[in-house]
Amino acid sequence: MATVTSDVLAVEQPAAEKPPSSKEYPGALVVVEGIDGSGKSTQLYLLKRWLEIGGYRLHFTEWNSSPLVKSATKRGKQRRMLTPTTFSLLHAADFADRCERQILPLLHGGYLVLADRYIFTAFARDAARGCSPHWLRNLYSFAPIPDITFYFRAPLDVAVNRIVAGRPKLKYYEAGMDLGLSLDRAESFRVFQERILNNYDQMIETDRFVLMDGTVRVNKLQKTMRELLSERVDLARFAPKKK
Amino acid sequence: MKRSRSNSTAGVSPNGQGAKSAKKVKNGKNGNGHLAARFYGMPLPGVRPEELSGNLIVVEGADGSGRSTQISLLTEWLESEGFAVETMGLRRSYLVGEDIDALLAENAVTRLTLALMYSTDFFDQLERRILPALRSGLIVLADRYIFTLIARAAVRGISRDYLHGIYEIALRPDLTFWLNVRPEVAFDREFKKSQTISYWESGRDMSLSNDLFQSFVRYQSLIKREFEYLSKRHGFIEFDGEASVSEVNRALRTRIAAHLGIRGTHYKPSHALAHLWR
Repeated sequence: MATVTSDVLAVEQPAAEKPPSSKEYPGALVVVEGIDGSGKSTQLYLLKRWLEIGGYRLHFTEWNSSPLVKSATKRGKQRRMLTPTTFSLLHAADFADRCERQILPLLHGGYLVLADRYIFTAFARDAARGCSPHWLRNLYSFAPIPDITFYFRAPLDVAVNRIVAGRPKLKYYEAGMDLGLSLDRAESFRVFQERILNNYDQMIETDRFVLMDGTVRVNKLQKTMRELLSERVDLARFAPKKK
Repeated sequence: MKRSRSNSTAGVSPNGQGAKSAKKVKNGKNGNGHLAARFYGMPLPGVRPEELSGNLIVVEGADGSGRSTQISLLTEWLESEGFAVETMGLRRSYLVGEDIDALLAENAVTRLTLALMYSTDFFDQLERRILPALRSGLIVLADRYIFTLIARAAVRGISRDYLHGIYEIALRPDLTFWLNVRPEVAFDREFKKSQTISYWESGRDMSLSNDLFQSFVRYQSLIKREFEYLSKRHGFIEFDGEASVSEVNRALRTRIAAHLGIRGTHYKPSHALAHLWR
């Protein structure tokens, strides 16, 4: 057999798993981020209703909604066998599936894509579990960069009380019980959310978050959100065609 | 044969370190350097490298390279020498092993998702089975490792830097063997074994050729080229997988014995494994 000594012939390769630039597609990506109880989902729902009623070409996507890894996530959570790394990788696999099969095709097809949570959720949450921020950035480097990211920020107590009051029982991973922060779920949840909140705050400048005050009255905040979106994204591109 | 290649720059040190695991840490030329070297980059969250007293030995090679046969023989030999052995391989995790089987059967998955599911499978085994074994001083024999995962994804166009970034928190093997065979030979062996060639092993998803043989050979050639690159980067110890089972086995045992400090070892497969000895 011929000895392999020749120079390495590299397969043609991209330099890195670069996200597509927003100039490469006619769609636009709108993201809301923030800790649980910050009001982001309510606000995105209202934004979506406004656009739907106006007949805009849009698609709504949620974090962790694909059936692909559901059985694994469920198994892992039930048996409490997820580590920070496998927790993170499973969610990345799930996101990659949504990204390649929904988000990217829709952006290329000229849709306004609304995302309730995006990669920043993974950056904030998985880093709070102990994953290296550098490793996480690489893991999600294939994701398209949002046209606008609304960051809903509410004081920790306000956000945590909204969640704890409304839910009979916090789930194990949701409360960050895997980190051994506290034996009390509510207390563990609070400490975990505080870590996540701090991680989000670190990204305000680097990831050009648009800061939204989650304590402002709902309808007033929604008005601001609609104005900001109209300034940043050319909504006319997604408006129904005039006959 | 015996085309072993040592590569001191790439980190894996094939030079026998002689001493048993516990001493190994102290014997390292500079303690910190040695500890850091157990991982490619940052260690996995929550892992203390100095606790890992066992040894990780990886056997890589295409299907049909004799990899699994050698793992069976090495397991028996090591056990006969008094070493406890744990094994790992692809799609064997409790967490997602079956899910990947289902994805492969469905064939609707994208390359990136599949790559990340494989990495989940890998880290689930590593963290929950392999690291505990290494903490207990076991010898872990890996039937394929991150290199197959990197090569498969890279030939499908996922960036190598991206892949190395994901696996930089993986444990660096003490020894990595590559059983190198020509794709044509691998084809013959695989066909003989199962009377057909698997969809994925022939890279049918890549549309290389409608002819199964052509597709297999082209795909395995791409993988092989990727392995040549990885071999340089990570210092594989390369053996000719086309040599006889006993010859390859002897070469493997010589390197492993030197690494573990086993002297004067003799091995003949037991009755149960005699059929593998050709």
